[in-house]
Amino acid sequence: MNRRRILVALLGVGLIVIAVLLFPSLDKPLETPTQQAEQTQLAPEPGPVETVSTTPAPPAALPVIPPVIAVVKAAPTRPQGTVSVDGVNDIDPAKAFGSKSAPVVMEIYSDFQCPACKTLFTSTTQKIMDNYVNSGKVYLIHRDFPLPMHAYSRVAASYSRAAAHIGKCDEVEQALFRNQEKWEMTGDVVGTVAAALSPAEMKKVQALVDAKTFEPLIEKDKQLGQMVPVNQTPYSVLHTKSGQTFPVVGFVSYEVLKSFLDQLVAQK
Amino acid sequence: MMQSTPFTFRRIFLWICRIVLAAVFLYAGSAKLLGWGLHLHPSIASTKLSLFYFALQVDSYQLLPPWAVQFVAHTLPLAEVAIGLLLLIGWLLPVWTTLVTLLIAGFFASVVRAYLLHLDINCGCFAKPEPLTGLTVLRDGILLLIAVLMTVFAFQESRRPHPWSASTPGQPT
Repeated sequence: MNRRRILVALLGVGLIVIAVLLFPSLDKPLETPTQQAEQTQLAPEPGPVETVSTTPAPPAALPVIPPVIAVVKAAPTRPQGTVSVDGVNDIDPAKAFGSKSAPVVMEIYSDFQCPACKTLFTSTTQKIMDNYVNSGKVYLIHRDFPLPMHAYSRVAASYSRAAAHIGKCDEVEQALFRNQEKWEMTGDVVGTVAAALSPAEMKKVQALVDAKTFEPLIEKDKQLGQMVPVNQTPYSVLHTKSGQTFPVVGFVSYEVLKSFLDQLVAQK
Repeated sequence: MMQSTPFTFRRIFLWICRIVLAAVFLYAGSAKLLGWGLHLHPSIASTKLSLFYFALQVDSYQLLPPWAVQFVAHTLPLAEVAIGLLLLIGWLLPVWTTLVTLLIAGFFASVVRAYLLHLDINCGCFAKPEPLTGLTVLRDGILLLIAVLMTVFAFQESRRPHPWSASTPGQPT
């Protein structure tokens, strides 16, 4: 090997290092979707909270969502009933699980009619719930991102959201995902949800869906997803306390995600 | 006295290919090792984190079992940097060009498979979120073409040593 070759190699490495250091995108910090959303939001209107509420009041006979609403009323441009955790905004507490002080916040954008979302839910999310959410290591947020190509996913999202607000999120999500092949053929979302609930619970859920009470929350999830940008599902975004953001596109196995979560949890 | 000019089309093309592919491999490997695409502060911990994050992207191709995913994710970036350097140095060029071609062929096959299956995943090519699209397939195809040509030329050159490298009679090598 002669000296000229070594010199050329060193020169090449040097040039590449310089090119990489000068690469402009490397200096820009990643923005979380919610931060982007905040930047693109219109300035909040001053004045009483009632003037900015887009969520219709639930019928008097129905169970109410609001313990959290009172807390977040100070943020007038956000949909009612949402909270913020570690810079992640517009979280519907009924669709979020775990401790808010968890070292990792994980958002999952999914569509009830998407097969990969079903696989992620049944093989990965459930284990994450058992081993990381229940132990306070991960705060898990389910975001609805019904894709336009799926005829019934928006309806399924509405029923799931309503069920979540009467405390039956897990039961209905399980029913919808596990029976996905059946209801996507027949369109019988209502029957699938009804099978997972008691008649009284189903009545409450149906009333909430009919009143379109939670449509703004679904719409907000979709808007947030579009700003990520989520162009397919499932799409997960992991946030740490130190502000790092890690998007994960598509299905990921539990074992591999577990190793990554362990790293995130360990760094605190 | 030179026996032949060093500036033949084949030699110039071989050099360009080596520099282009070395740059691509060095950038890809370093980005994964140092977490450039994730804007992590350089440290051993961030390298570890970056490699585990890369494992998620490897896993999304749904080709390998979890243990193999971790093995690939933790060895590929180092291999990319090493191959990039070896391409620039030019030592045992036919060997490394063949390895590069096989590696790129593997990438290309994975990318084409994911594209045909509509997996809609992140490419994972340079450690930062980059959707796998038709352009990714095209880019990998071009890189494969360059690698194949480079390998062919490297074998041809190995039969006829570069005049600057060739020993002249009476001179020690």
